[in-house]
Amino acid sequence: MTAPMGDPAATVVDPAEAWAGEQEPARKPEEPSLSAGEWLSKNLFSSAVNSVLTVVFTLLVLLAVRGLLNFTFSEERTWRAVKTNMRFLFTHAYPQEQYIRIWVCVGAIAVMSGLSVGLLARTGAGISLKKLSMNLMGTGGVIGLGILLREPSAMVDDEGMALHGDPAAAVGDSFVGWLDANALAVLGVLVLANVALAAWFHLQGTYLRDGPEPRVAHGVLMLASVGVLIVQQYATGEIVRESFADAMADRAWWWLGAVVLAGSGAALWFGLGDARRRNTFVPAIHVFFAGAGIMVLSAWLYPWGHYAFLEGEFISEPGSTVAMTTKLPWTVMWALLVGTFLLGRALSTAGAVSRLRVPLNLLWVMTPFVLYWAVLRDPDLDWDHVLSTDIPMAVFFAVFGGLVVWYLTHPRIGEAGRIMAVVLVGVAVLNWVAAYFGWYPMLQKARISFLLLAVVALLAHNFAGDRTQRLRLVAAWVAIMAVFHWLVTLVNSPSTVETPTDALIGGFGITLIVAVFTLLAAFPLGVLLALARTSKLPIFRVLSTAYIEVFRGVPLITILFFFTLIFNLFLPDNMSLTDIAGATIGFALFSAAYLAENVRGGLQAVRQGQYEASDAVGLTTVQRTLFIVLPQSLRVSIPPLVGQVIATFKETSLLAVVGIFDFLRIADKVISAQSEFLGVKREGLLFASFIYWIFAYNMSKHSQRLEKRLGVGER
Amino acid sequence: MSVSDATTALTEELAARDDMIVCEGVNKWFGDFQALDGITAVIKEREVVVVLGPSGSGKSTWIRCINRLEAHQEGRIVIDGVELTNDLRNIERIRSEVGMVFQQFNLFPHLTVLDNITLAPIWVRKKPKAEAEDLARSLLERVGIPEQAEKYPGQLSGGQQQRVAIARALAMEPRIMLFDEPTSALDPEMIKEVLDVMKELALSGMTMMVVTHEMGFAREVADRVIFMEDGQIVETGTPEHFFTSPQEERTKLFLSQIL
Repeated sequence: MTAPMGDPAATVVDPAEAWAGEQEPARKPEEPSLSAGEWLSKNLFSSAVNSVLTVVFTLLVLLAVRGLLNFTFSEERTWRAVKTNMRFLFTHAYPQEQYIRIWVCVGAIAVMSGLSVGLLARTGAGISLKKLSMNLMGTGGVIGLGILLREPSAMVDDEGMALHGDPAAAVGDSFVGWLDANALAVLGVLVLANVALAAWFHLQGTYLRDGPEPRVAHGVLMLASVGVLIVQQYATGEIVRESFADAMADRAWWWLGAVVLAGSGAALWFGLGDARRRNTFVPAIHVFFAGAGIMVLSAWLYPWGHYAFLEGEFISEPGSTVAMTTKLPWTVMWALLVGTFLLGRALSTAGAVSRLRVPLNLLWVMTPFVLYWAVLRDPDLDWDHVLSTDIPMAVFFAVFGGLVVWYLTHPRIGEAGRIMAVVLVGVAVLNWVAAYFGWYPMLQKARISFLLLAVVALLAHNFAGDRTQRLRLVAAWVAIMAVFHWLVTLVNSPSTVETPTDALIGGFGITLIVAVFTLLAAFPLGVLLALARTSKLPIFRVLSTAYIEVFRGVPLITILFFFTLIFNLFLPDNMSLTDIAGATIGFALFSAAYLAENVRGGLQAVRQGQYEASDAVGLTTVQRTLFIVLPQSLRVSIPPLVGQVIATFKETSLLAVVGIFDFLRIADKVISAQSEFLGVKREGLLFASFIYWIFAYNMSKHSQRLEKRLGVGER
Repeated sequence: MSVSDATTALTEELAARDDMIVCEGVNKWFGDFQALDGITAVIKEREVVVVLGPSGSGKSTWIRCINRLEAHQEGRIVIDGVELTNDLRNIERIRSEVGMVFQQFNLFPHLTVLDNITLAPIWVRKKPKAEAEDLARSLLERVGIPEQAEKYPGQLSGGQQQRVAIARALAMEPRIMLFDEPTSALDPEMIKEVLDVMKELALSGMTMMVVTHEMGFAREVADRVIFMEDGQIVETGTPEHFFTSPQEERTKLFLSQIL
């Protein structure tokens, strides 16, 4: 064969690249682990400037942490307010005797999560024992430092009031008093000393050598600074505080925790002598189960105290373990989670993954609907109506629509199919026009079913195929109809759960519910808007652009007010939206505009060649979009999409403003209005921020894992 | 046998076959730039035509017009008796009969090799899945990489990817295959494996139109070579005629630059 004569740039050989395709890469040598000193000098004290930055920012962090600790553990905090109102915070006024329903919901989610993780999680992913032991030691160390940094508790009298001493007599008398009065100045001097030291070592050129002197010198000065931060707090000011020995004795449980953590970490580290065993991986999920198990176990053994606000009574029993109604359900939840995880693992080993993946994902989509309308609301079904109307109608649409789908997915349906689809669209439109003018009565769900059927008919020819494929599509239609009619029947039935407010549930429950339904509605809408905005048809482009710009240009709170207060005025007389439904619609429409922009970014990242290849093999536009363009663009847009999901989750706190008792409102307004806890707000707000953070942080972590996992198929 | 005798013999033999691709006075502009200028050519059944020419001469544009990845503005293009117009049904028919292989492979990165190949047979040809998979595996066998079926395109070398792309096009059982610089993005040592597959395909009687810079391939496999410059067909002939006694000055210049 002749030598290649093409574009020279395209034929330049990269030997390394050519080899990589055909040869197994050589085993990477074990990276020698750095000793602590080496790590410090490499990362924190590598040059004069870095040393100064390390010193200054470490002190700032320590100051901030000390502030947070002192705020959290101050004798002025009434954490009892949060403990007592746990039920309020998470479910508001959901009735006590129906509480089992909440646990059924949590249990269902535990079962689904356990199964999903067991089935789908990668076995390889995990934490190395080395990292685990380092994390344990680190956590123990940080807790220990926190115990030392925290200010001592105030001495209290029999009624729990802090004892006051003579401030003038206390400060300045002793060394501690002097240190307290001049703490800032002393810290400043120490920082300056660090700077001077860094400059001196820099001029000597020592940072470039291996000698430990600069690190040791900085270390001594840093320890002195931390010492100042600790010792200063033991000066007796206006409030009489306990001594260092008493404070440490008070924190014995904390010390125990810190020592156990650091000790188990160290035991793990030294128990595994050589580096190879330290690099063994344990699945992260096992670590999580163990941690959760310890928490659950502690509910049975450790006296967390029993606090509750039940039937107008505040219960406070500090010495006991938590109530049976708390520890028993959580134990069951833990067992469900672990049990279903093991079941999932077993199924996965049996090779059921490929068959269970799709049903599991569908179940996840169904879960919020079923849990909210069937479990939490406990609908009061009118069986006469169900038997006389609902079931016959569902059967009719399943059979009639099934036949239509079967007919329209014939490989050579041709012109007749297009005509039939157009006829169905005509019927669907006519039904809605008739509803507007009141020509003939028809149940709303029949109208929606016709509309769904028309959409399916329009798309059907794209999915035509052989017999099995057509049967599968018919089965999908029948399933959709069954689920749709069942859900509509549930939604239309009144709830039997009675609550003092209009809302079924409040607190974190409603926050989650609104967030989940918002996303379930906003995702498809956002994808459709993005597709419309990149469509070739100007009318779609204009409509979508207008929608997106309007919703992005209006403040969310305005949209929420519109849908909770004004929107009902536009609805026909016999229709109205509850506040929560209105707010959810508002959130969904708003999020959809942002999601659409994120998805559009992903659509633009799909290369032109992909469109050309799809066209060249003869895919239709719908097939190209569904099979080629969307999977690639959604994958690219995962990071911004998760960002939007987190934003939506946090934005639900605006529910408080439109008068719904969501998590934030209970933490902020409701607790502080209780007779027992008048004006107690900070604790609730701190707790609420913590819970929001836990959820948002986990979502972000999960998205990182998802990105890595989906990256497999990338070029 | 002289060169002109060979050309005459070829012309007579070809005249007996069916027309697969007919272009009559095809013109195309990108803005003010005329990319195709009165292209008139007929490609017969089972013929292998190699299109040569300097870059920017309109080779790729022409080949992309043939399955409507670009729309021509004047003239007629008739594929196997069906004229390419704006009628979507004609375009669909022609695309399912014309396979195309791209310079940049354009495999679907999120699908396995097997799914890349079976996607169109299942959804466009409406084949049962099992049948489509059998076909895909036999095609992978044919292009020499049966063991890569479950991998993703990103895990394959360039040559392997291009062979998958050929298998993907063949899975539609096309009557015509278009190759748009199939080896230009490949490392030299991978070019041969792709050219071998193409040779085998040519020998099996596939109608092929190949834009390439591989003179060896043109010499060895082509029935006819078409030389283009500035959007026009400058010279047409058998490879022997083309490489040994070109008539046009521009052809001679081009050959002197690359040989």
